[in-house]
Amino acid sequence: MASRKESSGAAGSGFGSSKGKGKAAATGDSAVKQVQIDGLVVLKIIKHYQEEGQGNEVVQGVLLGLVVDDRLEITNCFPFPQHTEDDADFDEVQYQMEMMRSLRHVNIDHLHVGWYQSTYYGSFVTRALLDSQFSYQHAIEESVVLIYDPIKTAQGSLSLKAYRLTPKLMEVCKEKDFSPEALKKANIAYENMFEEVPIVIKNSYLINVMLWELEKKSGVADRHELLSLASSNHLGKSLQLLMDRVDEMSQDIVKYNTYLRNVSKQQQQKHQYQQRRQQENMQRQSRGEAPLPEEDINKLFKPPQPPPRMESLLIAGQINTYCQNIKEFNAQNLGKLFMAQALQDYNN
Amino acid sequence: MGSYRALCGSYRALWGSVCLYGPLWVSIGFYTSLWGLCGFLWVSMDSMGFYGPLLLSEDEEDTKRVVRSAKDKRSEELCSIIRALRNAMKIKDVSRCLEDFELLSRAFNKAKGVLEREGPPRFYIRILADLEDYLAELWEDKEGKRRMNKNNARALSSLRQKLRKHNREYEAQIAAYRQVRMWGLWGNLWGRAMGLGCRAELCGWAERRGGAERRRAERRRKRAPRSRREEEEDENEGGEWEKVKGGAPLVKEKPKMFAKGTEITPAVVLKKLNEILQARGKKGTDRAAQIELLQLLVAVANENGLGAALEIKIKFSIIASLYDYNPNLATYMKPELWQRCLSCIEELLDELFQHPEIFIGENILEESENLSNPDQPYRVRGCILTLVERMDEEFTKIMQNTDPHSQEYVEQLKDEARVCSIISRLQQYLQEQGSPEELCRVYLRRILHTYYKFDYGMAADGSEDSASLMDRLCKFIYAKDRTDRIRTCSILCHIYHHALHSRWYPARDLMLMSHLQDNIQHADPPVQILYNRTMVQLGICAFRQGLIKDAHNALLDIQSSGRAKELLGQGLLLRSLQERNPEQEKVEKRRQVPFHMHVNLELLECVYLVAAMLLEIPYMAAHEFDARRRMISKQFHHQLRVGERQPLLGPPESMREHVVAASKAMKMGDWRSCHRYVVNEKMNGKVWDLFPEADKVRAMLVRSIQEESLRTYLFTYSSVYDSISMEILSAMFELDLPTVHSIISKMIINEELMASLDQPTQTVQMHRTEPSAQQNLALQLAEKLGTLMENNERVLDHKQGSYGGYFRDQKDGYRKGDGGYLRRGGYRQQERGSNY
Repeated sequence: MASRKESSGAAGSGFGSSKGKGKAAATGDSAVKQVQIDGLVVLKIIKHYQEEGQGNEVVQGVLLGLVVDDRLEITNCFPFPQHTEDDADFDEVQYQMEMMRSLRHVNIDHLHVGWYQSTYYGSFVTRALLDSQFSYQHAIEESVVLIYDPIKTAQGSLSLKAYRLTPKLMEVCKEKDFSPEALKKANIAYENMFEEVPIVIKNSYLINVMLWELEKKSGVADRHELLSLASSNHLGKSLQLLMDRVDEMSQDIVKYNTYLRNVSKQQQQKHQYQQRRQQENMQRQSRGEAPLPEEDINKLFKPPQPPPRMESLLIAGQINTYCQNIKEFNAQNLGKLFMAQALQDYNN
Repeated sequence: MGSYRALCGSYRALWGSVCLYGPLWVSIGFYTSLWGLCGFLWVSMDSMGFYGPLLLSEDEEDTKRVVRSAKDKRSEELCSIIRALRNAMKIKDVSRCLEDFELLSRAFNKAKGVLEREGPPRFYIRILADLEDYLAELWEDKEGKRRMNKNNARALSSLRQKLRKHNREYEAQIAAYRQVRMWGLWGNLWGRAMGLGCRAELCGWAERRGGAERRRAERRRKRAPRSRREEEEDENEGGEWEKVKGGAPLVKEKPKMFAKGTEITPAVVLKKLNEILQARGKKGTDRAAQIELLQLLVAVANENGLGAALEIKIKFSIIASLYDYNPNLATYMKPELWQRCLSCIEELLDELFQHPEIFIGENILEESENLSNPDQPYRVRGCILTLVERMDEEFTKIMQNTDPHSQEYVEQLKDEARVCSIISRLQQYLQEQGSPEELCRVYLRRILHTYYKFDYGMAADGSEDSASLMDRLCKFIYAKDRTDRIRTCSILCHIYHHALHSRWYPARDLMLMSHLQDNIQHADPPVQILYNRTMVQLGICAFRQGLIKDAHNALLDIQSSGRAKELLGQGLLLRSLQERNPEQEKVEKRRQVPFHMHVNLELLECVYLVAAMLLEIPYMAAHEFDARRRMISKQFHHQLRVGERQPLLGPPESMREHVVAASKAMKMGDWRSCHRYVVNEKMNGKVWDLFPEADKVRAMLVRSIQEESLRTYLFTYSSVYDSISMEILSAMFELDLPTVHSIISKMIINEELMASLDQPTQTVQMHRTEPSAQQNLALQLAEKLGTLMENNERVLDHKQGSYGGYFRDQKDGYRKGDGGYLRRGGYRQQERGSNY
C-alpha cells in the first residue's frame, strides 16, 4: 500500500494538496508554503504506529529536515519513546537532544522542524495539540505538525496532513487571553485557527526506479480495501464521536449563556444603583447638601468571570473535522455502492 | 493448756477429713499432729494456713515473731487483704473485689517462696472458694447484673475469668476444702465451746487474744450457716441488705391479714381490699407483696364463702396489680408473672362463665356496686375486655423482647394458644353480654391473632376454617364499628388473609373498594405498618398467581425505598440511627412486629426482583436505542449495575446474584439458563420452598420465563431475521404453537414488533422498519444538534439585549423545541418510507 502511494508521490501529485490549496492560498504570509516529505519518513511514521499504537492510543515523534525557500523538506524522523509507569523520571528533552546529536554524527539532517502524531478517527483538534504546536512554532518558526490517520490509511488511502497555527492564533496564544472579547478582536474563528500546508511526497530517482522494477515482479497487488463496502462501523464510530463533541459544545454554550445572563443581570443592578444615587443626589442638592461622594461602581459590582472560549473554538474545529471526514467517507462509499449496484445489474 | 484442747477440736475435724478425703490431708494431718505435739501450735497452724477453730490472731503472734518473721509477715499481709476483699464482697463492690483479688494474688505470689513448702495456706484456698461461689451467685443473678453499674459489670466478668484461671492451679485443694468445710464446722463449734469454756483460766496472752477471739467467733457465727447451706444464707444476707432500703409497712403485716377472731364479712374484706389498693402506686410499696396479699385475700374470701362477686372484684385487682408490677411501659413481664397473669385471667373467665348473673361494667360507680347482697343482681365494676387487651399487648411485648432465635422464644410462643383461647372465650362471653362496641374490640383481637396464620385446612374437628371465621368477624366489624381504626385494621387483616390464601381477586377488590391507598398516610404508624404488610402480601399473592405486573406494582413502593425492613416493622435500620433520638427509637421499638408474624424479607425482595426482571428485560430489549427510555424498576437496575461492577464474575451465590445472572441469560433469550438460575436448589431453599404451593409457583415461573424470553428474543434479534418459523420458535422456547402465535400476535397488535404473520407457512415475516444502529445514531445526533441550536439562539437573544425578556425567550425556546420534536418525527417517517 505504501509503495503505491510513494509511486504516486513520485509522480508528483501530492494527494493532500488538492484539499489544502484553498487554505494555503489564504494564508500567504506564512513562512512555509509547501511540505515535501521523504518516502522514508512516511514509512517510518506508519511503522511506528503499527508497532506501538493500538486503538485510540496516540503515537508521537520528531520531524527533522530543512527549510529551502518556502518549502519545508522533511527528510527524517524519530519516534518519542512510549511512556510507561516505571520510568517516570525519563527526560524527553534529553532524549531528543541525544538523538539529534547522534544523527548529526552520522551526517543526517538533524534540524528540528516539527513533530508528528497519529489520530483516532480524526480527533486531533485538542488543547494539547494546540499548546504543543504553539510552543514548537514559538521556538522554531517553520515547524509543522503531521497528522497521520491510520484508520483511513487502512481503508486504502494514505492520510497524512500537515498543519500549522495561523499567525492570528499565534498572537492570541502569546497573549494567553481567551476571553470572548479578545477572540472577537483577533477575529478568530474555527476556520482560521489551523492552516493546512500542502504535502508532496518525494523519493530519489533510484528508489523510483527500484519501485517500478518491483511492481513488475510482484504482479497484481491486492487492493481489495479500496472496494470494501462495509461502512457501518466507521460511520457509527464517527457519529458517536461527533455526538460527544456536540454534547460538549452544548454544555459550553450553556455555560456561556449563564455568563451572559449574569452580566446582563448585573448591568441592570448597576443601572438601578446609579439611578438611585442620582435621585438621592438631586434631593440632597435641593436641600442644599453636598452630593454623595462618587464610588467606584466596578468595586461594588464585580463583573463575573467570562468563561474562556478557546475550548469551544477547538470543539467547533473538531466538529468541522469530523464533518469533513464523514462527508468524504460517505461520498466515497456512495460511489462504491452505485458501482456495486451497477455490477449487480450487469451480472443479472 | 486451752490451746491444746482447742487443738483437739481441730484435730477431730482434721481426722474426719482424713478418714474421708484422701491422702493429701493425711500427710498434712500427720504433719500437723507432729507439730502440735511439739507445742508449736500456732506456728504450725498458721504456716499451714489451717483454718481451724484456733486460727491465731495477729496480736498473739507478736510475741514470737522474731523467729519466723518472713512467714508471718506474709501471712499477715494476705490476711489483711483477704479482710478487705471480704468487705468488698459484702457490699457488692465488684470492682473493689477485683482490685483486692489482684493485690491478693500478687501478694501470694510474693509469699509463695515462703509458703510453698506446705502448699498454699488454707485461708487462701478458702477465700478462693468463697470468692468463686460468690461470683457464681452474682453471675446467675441476671436481674441484679442488669442493675449493676457498668464498672461493676465489667469488673465482674473480668474477675470471673481471672479467678477461673487462677483457681485452676488449686482445683484439688478447693474441692477438698469444700468438702472439708462440712466437717470443719463440727470442729469449729466444738473448739469454740472449749475455747469459751476455758476462758477464765487463760492467762496474760489469752486475755489479749480475747478480743480477737471474739471477733473471729463472730465472724464464724456468720459463716457457719453459710457453709451449711450456702444458697439460702446468701439470699438471707441479700434480704438483710435490701431490707434497709425497702420495707413497706405492708410487708410486716403479711402474716396477720386479719386480727385473730375478727369475723370475716364482705365489708371487712372490702375494706381490706381498699386498704391494699390504696398503697398501689405509692412509693415504697412492695408490688410483689401486694400481689401476694391480694391472693391471700382471695383465699380468705373463698374460705369464708363470701360470694363470687367479691372474688371477681378481688381478682380484677390482682390482674391489675400484676400489670402494675412493671413500673415502666417499655419493660416486659417476667415469665413467671406472665404465667400467673394468664392463669388468673383464665380463672376469672371461669368464674364469669359460672356466674353469668353477675353484671360487670366499667362504668358502674363504686357506690352502686353490689358485691354481697344476694337479693339484688350483683354488679361489679371492672372491664374484662380491657384486661384481656392489656394481656394481649403484654404478650406482644414479651415476644418483641425475646430473642427470636432462642428456644425461649419457642417456649413463649406456646402461650399464643392460651392467649388465643382466652380471647375466644372472652368473645363467647361478650357475645352474650357485651355491647357491639365491645364485640368489635374483641373481634379485632381475634382477627389480629388469626390473619397472619396460614390455614392448612388441618382443623378437621368441625370448627370453622379461618377464612369463614375472618369473613364473619370482619363483616360484623364493617357493619357495627363506629371507630374508624378498628374497621381499617380489620379490612387490612381481611385483605392480608385473602392474599395469604391466594384469593387474589377478593383481596384486590377489597383493597380497591376500601380506598385505603388514598388516605392511609393519615393513619397512625402501627396501622401504616399493617397496611405495608398487607400490600406486600398482596404483591406476593399476585406473583403466585402469575400476575407479574400487579405484583410489581404492589411491591414497588415498599421495595424502592430500600427500607422494607423498617416499613414492615421488622427491625430498625442502623443508618437512620443519627436521625432519631433514643426516645424515638424506643417508640419505634415498641411498634415492631413480633418475629413469628414477620414477612420474609428475602422472599419479598426475590419476588420483587424476579417480577422486575420479567417486566424490565423485554422492555429494555424493545427500547434499546430509545434515548428517552424510562426504567421500570430502579432497584432492579441498581442490582444489574452492581453485578456489572464485579471485577470477577463467579457462579452466583446470593439470591440477588442469581437474579442478575438470570437477567443476563434472559437478555440473550436463553430461557434455559435463566430458568436454571431462578429455580435451583439454592433458590428453592432460600425462597421458593417458602410458598405454600411451591410447585405451582415454580411452574408459573417457568412459563413466565419462557414467554418473556421469547419476547426478548424477538425484540433483540428481529433485525437479523427476514422471517422466522413459529414452529422453530415454539421448539426453542418449549411453548406450544398457539401460545407462540398469541404472544407474537399481541406484540404485533401493540406495535412492538414490526412484522406480519404468514398463515400458510406459519412464519413471522419481519418488516424491517426499525432504524438501524447508524440511523439511530443519526437521530440522536439530530436531537442533540437541535438542543445545540436552541442554546445558540439563546446567545443571539442576549446579543440583541432585551432586559427581562429572558423568560419569554425561554418559553419560546421550549415551543421551538417541541417543533423540533415534531420535525424529527417527520424525519423518522421519511426514513421508514425510504426503507420500504
